[in-house]
Amino acid sequence: MTFSRIRTSRTTKRTIQRAARGPGRLLPLCVTLLFSATVSGSEIDISVLDRNGKGVADVAVYAVRTVGNEKLPTPVSNPVMDQVDRRFVPHLLVVQTGAAVEFPNSDSVAHHVYSFSHPNKFMLPMYKGELHPPVTFDHSGVVSLGCNIHDHMLGYILVVDSSVFTKTDKNGRATLSVDDPEAYTVNIWSPRIRDKAESLSRSLDSSRDPVTFSLGKKLNPPHHGPTDGNSWPDYQ
Amino acid sequence: MARLPIKFAVAFISLAACAVYASDSPNRYQLNAGIDASYINASGYNSWTEGSVGKLLYDDTTDGLKISQAFADMEFWLTDTLKARAVVNAYPDDLGSLVDFTQAYLEWRPVPRSRNRYRLKVGAFYPHLSLENVSAGWDSPYTMSYSAINTWIAEELRTIGAELSVSRRPEVFGGAHTFSLQGAVFVANDPTGSLLSWKGWSAHNRQSRFNDKLPLAPLPQIQPGGLFEQQDPYVEPFREIDGRAGYYVGGEWQFDRKFLIRAMHYDNRADPLAFENGQYAWATKFEHIAAQFLLPANWNLMFQWMNGSSAMGPVVNGAHMVDIDFDSKYLMLTREFNRHRVSLRYDVFEVTQNDNTREDNNPEDGYVWTLAYFYELSNNVSIGAESLIIKTHHCGWIYYGLDPTQKEKQLQLTARFRFGS
Repeated sequence: MTFSRIRTSRTTKRTIQRAARGPGRLLPLCVTLLFSATVSGSEIDISVLDRNGKGVADVAVYAVRTVGNEKLPTPVSNPVMDQVDRRFVPHLLVVQTGAAVEFPNSDSVAHHVYSFSHPNKFMLPMYKGELHPPVTFDHSGVVSLGCNIHDHMLGYILVVDSSVFTKTDKNGRATLSVDDPEAYTVNIWSPRIRDKAESLSRSLDSSRDPVTFSLGKKLNPPHHGPTDGNSWPDYQ
Repeated sequence: MARLPIKFAVAFISLAACAVYASDSPNRYQLNAGIDASYINASGYNSWTEGSVGKLLYDDTTDGLKISQAFADMEFWLTDTLKARAVVNAYPDDLGSLVDFTQAYLEWRPVPRSRNRYRLKVGAFYPHLSLENVSAGWDSPYTMSYSAINTWIAEELRTIGAELSVSRRPEVFGGAHTFSLQGAVFVANDPTGSLLSWKGWSAHNRQSRFNDKLPLAPLPQIQPGGLFEQQDPYVEPFREIDGRAGYYVGGEWQFDRKFLIRAMHYDNRADPLAFENGQYAWATKFEHIAAQFLLPANWNLMFQWMNGSSAMGPVVNGAHMVDIDFDSKYLMLTREFNRHRVSLRYDVFEVTQNDNTREDNNPEDGYVWTLAYFYELSNNVSIGAESLIIKTHHCGWIYYGLDPTQKEKQLQLTARFRFGS
């Protein structure tokens, strides 16, 4: 079986890099790319609702094949986790296992990105005007990112054994496209969700009915840094 | 170590700069510089910086067009985890050389291997107290003049030693809670407390440099024949006198940038009987609490409270010859409206006297109102205005034939330039 792939031209790549320089601009672009990529297969609508029935934004949603073997396509473009205004942009990036993630550093100050998340540990000092290679994530799991220069910085990369993934929009909705739904489970993850992992995975069937995750536990508050809106600055 | 020689600091920063430039990565530096050009109109007693009793930096004989702040804040990454930082401030006054260091230290920031982060500072730096002084060069983005507490910290307090801090990475608590603890051992801050006792609280933005000599008013007790006639007519706050180390321990809890609370216990463990080269050691200790809240409509509320004591000289009639308690607190409301920032602060301060030394009369109490406004013209330039009123009742002023109650006023118009590389 084959999955529809995102075809990334050089122009698109540049667009991604440009988009990454503005906070919040990357997500719509990813969503657009995803939709354009899912012209074939079955589209499954997914909703993530908090315990009050309100949609939860920016939740990673991905489908994992549970029947038969899946050969993941080779990632064709490097996902981007930028540093903008001393924040990780996006706050949560979903990538396929084996993806090489670019950390371009759009700030004028140095950063030193690291993760101690086993088994995807790495550190990447990024001084002004210096080139740094992308970081390849060969193991699935949650990679929590920090900056050793700016202690408040916090970001996440979710590495998934799948090429079918997206994030929920501001209304908590997302759409995934798979060829034979009954061979898949759909999973969600967000640093804000505190529900048990078992309740965050659902087997699909051939009905192609919308899937709703209704969370039982109160969400963690969103992460705020010193450069977010009316927040206060960090001590120098 | 009698004094922190300026040669040491110059050597420190030169070596750091050379090491970075000689390394493979010459871009491992960060320079933040600032300069405030101000028109100041001040009234009240002549300034304490002129050897008088005025609480402000300026008075009606010295006000006018001034460079009211000038600093360069330099950071060099010697390795990926070892940073050297030095801050120099320039003040065109008679309290020291034109340019001198306010901070110079090495900070080791090992990359966390667990959810705990450890940071070790060694050198001379500010303890983690102020909520206001959060900009480069320990300057305040909120007002031009600091609160009474932070003005005193700028005048007389510096950690010259080692500080270890440990914090938990925020995702441990769902990304919203941050906890940290600090502990430090320091030397060379023995005369701290002299100015609080003999001058009292102030309100300004002058940060004492390592080799500054801060003038005292011509107090009768430090004149020839007075009880403390050996005291120089100035204070050198960062000298080691008794060979005893001081310490502080503190902690902070921050929740989602909506609430922050910070506390510290400080004790310089100075020997109140020690004296060397014109400077007494003052046994100074305090408790400090700071809290910050994000209020509805994005108003920010800040609060700091410091309560402590300072003592010098032998015990006579159950108290040291100079034995004071000090207390100050402030509330500040501040808000940004796009390019505008408005801040309103109210300070109260007090010094009470526990000794019975009639020749040394230090009690005071007062308040400060500060209203400041900044408009950001560009990333590098802001303009602003500040109105400040400080009212003090100080018992010792009658020695000079001065009214013990005085209201001093200052209006400041500022063009603020900030550069970063």
